[in-house]
Amino acid sequence: MRQTSSLLWLRYVLLTIAALMFAFPFYFMVVGAFQENPTNTPDQLVPQSGWTTQNFTNIDSRIDLAGSLVNSLVFTAGVLLGTVVFGLLAGYAMGRLDFRGRGVTWVLMLLVQMVPFQLLMIPLYVQITSSYGLGDTYLGMILPFAINTTAVFIFTQFFRALPREMFEAARIDGASELRILRSIAVPLVRPAIATVVLVTFIGPWNEFLWPFLITKDSSMQPLAVSLANYISNVAQSTSNANGAILAGATALAFPVVILFCLFQRYFTASDLGAAVKG
Amino acid sequence: MRSIRIAALTGALALVVAGCSSGGGDDDSGDEGAAPSGTGPIEIWLSNNEQELAWGQAVVDAWNAEHPDEQVTAQEIPAGASSEEAITAAITAGTAPCLVYNIATAAVSGWVRQGGLVDLAQFDGGAAYITDRGGDAAEAYQTDGGYYQLPWKSNPVMVMYNKALFEQAGLDPEDPGMATYDDFLAGARQIVDSGTSQSAIWPSPTNEFYQPWFDFYPLYLAETGGTQLVEDGAATFDDENGLAVAEFWATIYSEGLAPQEASTDDAMSTGTTAMQLAGPWAIASYSESVDVGFMPVPTSSGEEDVYTFADSKNVSMFTSCENQATAWEFLQFSTSEERDGQLLELTGQMPLRLDLAATYPDYFSANPAYEVFAGQAERAVDVPSVPNSVEAWQAFRDEYSSAVIFGSIGVDEFLANAATTIDGLVAE
Amino acid sequence: MTSSSIALRTPRRNWWGAQPIGSLFALPYLVFVAVIFAYPLGFAVYIAFHDYFFTAPGVEVPKPFVGFDNFVTALTDPQVLESFRNTAVFLVINVPLTVVLGLVLATALDAGVRWASAYRIAFFVPYLTASVSLVGVWMLLFSSGGLVNAVLGPLAPDPSWLVNPALAMPTIALYVTWKQLGFYILLYLAALQNVPRELHESAETDGANGWQRFLNVTVPGVRATTTLVLILAIITGANLFTEPYLLTNGGGPDGASVTPVLLIYQRGIQQQNPDVAAAIGMILVIVVGLLSLIANRVNRET
Repeated sequence: MRQTSSLLWLRYVLLTIAALMFAFPFYFMVVGAFQENPTNTPDQLVPQSGWTTQNFTNIDSRIDLAGSLVNSLVFTAGVLLGTVVFGLLAGYAMGRLDFRGRGVTWVLMLLVQMVPFQLLMIPLYVQITSSYGLGDTYLGMILPFAINTTAVFIFTQFFRALPREMFEAARIDGASELRILRSIAVPLVRPAIATVVLVTFIGPWNEFLWPFLITKDSSMQPLAVSLANYISNVAQSTSNANGAILAGATALAFPVVILFCLFQRYFTASDLGAAVKG
Repeated sequence: MRSIRIAALTGALALVVAGCSSGGGDDDSGDEGAAPSGTGPIEIWLSNNEQELAWGQAVVDAWNAEHPDEQVTAQEIPAGASSEEAITAAITAGTAPCLVYNIATAAVSGWVRQGGLVDLAQFDGGAAYITDRGGDAAEAYQTDGGYYQLPWKSNPVMVMYNKALFEQAGLDPEDPGMATYDDFLAGARQIVDSGTSQSAIWPSPTNEFYQPWFDFYPLYLAETGGTQLVEDGAATFDDENGLAVAEFWATIYSEGLAPQEASTDDAMSTGTTAMQLAGPWAIASYSESVDVGFMPVPTSSGEEDVYTFADSKNVSMFTSCENQATAWEFLQFSTSEERDGQLLELTGQMPLRLDLAATYPDYFSANPAYEVFAGQAERAVDVPSVPNSVEAWQAFRDEYSSAVIFGSIGVDEFLANAATTIDGLVAE
Repeated sequence: MTSSSIALRTPRRNWWGAQPIGSLFALPYLVFVAVIFAYPLGFAVYIAFHDYFFTAPGVEVPKPFVGFDNFVTALTDPQVLESFRNTAVFLVINVPLTVVLGLVLATALDAGVRWASAYRIAFFVPYLTASVSLVGVWMLLFSSGGLVNAVLGPLAPDPSWLVNPALAMPTIALYVTWKQLGFYILLYLAALQNVPRELHESAETDGANGWQRFLNVTVPGVRATTTLVLILAIITGANLFTEPYLLTNGGGPDGASVTPVLLIYQRGIQQQNPDVAAAIGMILVIVVGLLSLIANRVNRET
């Protein structure tokens, strides 16, 4: 560390304050989920009593937690697969290749981001259920999210940032674009894949409106939909509505946070500079 | 057969649409009084209220045992604001089920305009079945002269109060004597000033189009003896009655007797409010946490036997249904006297049929808490069946919110503005 | 980084470009966009110019062409204008905050600190969690009797945050900044790894202090990412729906947090006027497009 010590301290103070601000509402949520009667007065921030797991037992008795979890995983896995495979291809083309229609594709990518989903929802619903007959299927659920445009953006930016010499050299050696993609681009792109997986993952995992519309069969509903159902239903007929809501929120957040904790080392160790120089 | 039905429907629809847009249609090959066609399996949607689901499953099981070739499958649709958009989308795509047991009257006109609902009166004896069951009151549920919904059950809105908090504030928990606006306000001030609870009453002060049904509208129906928000194609509320109700609520908000913010939890069970507007479903919900009493909504003069908002949920059949004969049979099966009795028992909600108290005397003698609702159910009025209903209520809510809840415009101005907007919307 | 724009300027050998296989690589994505996006969007454009409403299959009703009528209806509606004003308030608070905090925190994380993974988890957890869940927590925190007001004591605003017309939109902007920042930190972290270490080292030998190196090496080094962050933040802000829908219960108080997308939802889906809703959507897309172009241009020139 060649930092001056005052700067280092500033860094830690800044990070710690920010981290506390970020983590606090989450702490509040988890603690409240295990409380008989969550309150929001400052002197009860660290509750001494009133612990209960009743809120979670209630959820489990009302919805099929395991089944919805599987639905969520299938939905999410489908979107991830489509995004990583086709998004990587598109991102490489956009970032590294010169081809007719690249400018148009770029504009399209921006446009896709700009148009609010609410505007397209009903035409899309009619198209997918009525024209393709995909209501109550995983494919119908996945289709509108199959290739995450933000992920294509990230891949594109990433490939653009790679030094061009690496690619030029391979081209001069006569390697085909597919081979360059496989042997140079994909190995280098790993940190970006981790980012893309994370960014893409939360979309389908947390998405409520679309799977809600497309699934009428409750055995097909992902966790976000059944929990939202549970929350709206239980909140009007329980004496511990806050506890129920916070427990539902925690149940939805928990798997993601676990996965992230497992995954997160992939964001640190990517010493790309060394890879490029080597 | 199916194409004839669609043609008939298109004709009927064209009449509706003729008023809305320039177009019209004269393809009127209507076959009223025809027997519905198509038997076989059908699908129905139930609300996700736990007690209602239990009722629905029991009815479906009973039917399926007797009708092996006409099996009914029940699905749960989410209650609350978002079930309407699911139905709108399903109509557009032709994927709606045969029957939905959770139809709010406000949404019906839009779905009729979409061509999504079946006029039940076109079936043999359809209109007679509905009026025999519901009496003359059922006629209020007609849209463009057709029964696109069967009036099923109501949750007449009353003032629910916390008896313990009333006692603490020095009010008589058995007879609070708050039937007039002045007495109600006095009682409300007593509750807040004595520090008993932070608010006297807590209607949701939020912006959704349906919120007026639980603050302004029940009191307006009481004040006018059952005049709907719109009658004969014109808004009714820009008069002294509307003014009295709006000023009553404006006083509640300006004196801080009700919060301008939505409650983050159930204010009734946590005791942060002493009163709430609610229907009979609340009795079961609060039976364990709060000792609740009920009184009719107040009026300026404190008269007896006041009207209120019915908050009904009804049943509609959808045009995408293949087996309409089965659906019609099942609809009658599920709304028979016996099934209605089970609904009452399991959910505490009031079937929309004549003489409730006389039809189910055993139930009401065993559950005296519900008796007051049975009486009130006779004087419960729903939202008007008018075109652009949801839009009209949203316009009303936006203006109400500005004037009554936040006081940023005058109450007079709100009534005049909202009446003008709504006149325009329902005339379209 | 600096080479990125040059790299793309290889001379074209033929009409199809230097690497025509690129169109093949991009093809699946383009098909996806055509089916899932372009077709419904084209439909929405059609709707915006007609007196349109959704009907059940087989029901034919006239849906006449009405030119710009729906746009006139939308633009003369005071609520629509207010929703665009509200969006402007949101963007003015959210976008600068996002860019500055995102870059500063990413830089602080990047240089290797202890417990880096703990910090990262803290920053990402809000981003990972569904808005449906988090909104409930924020409502508890920012309600009149909530924790924030209890801590502030006499300094608490009256009326409280979410029911105060002047504070509702800023509170939402803060919430969204908080919720999304993890994602932008992630983008910046990835970008920072591409800033050549030599530049920092040579700046240091020239006697630049930490702040100067941040300004003269880091900030220019991640410019492409800043453009992306700006554009994504603008787009996210303009497409705001869940937060006003849930946090301020449908755009309250008194319409102070109504957003264009909330109106699209209300008009198009709740009230079944998809024609006006589609017109609002078109206007929104045009405005966002212009803002993104400006962001792109400004960031390229500075």
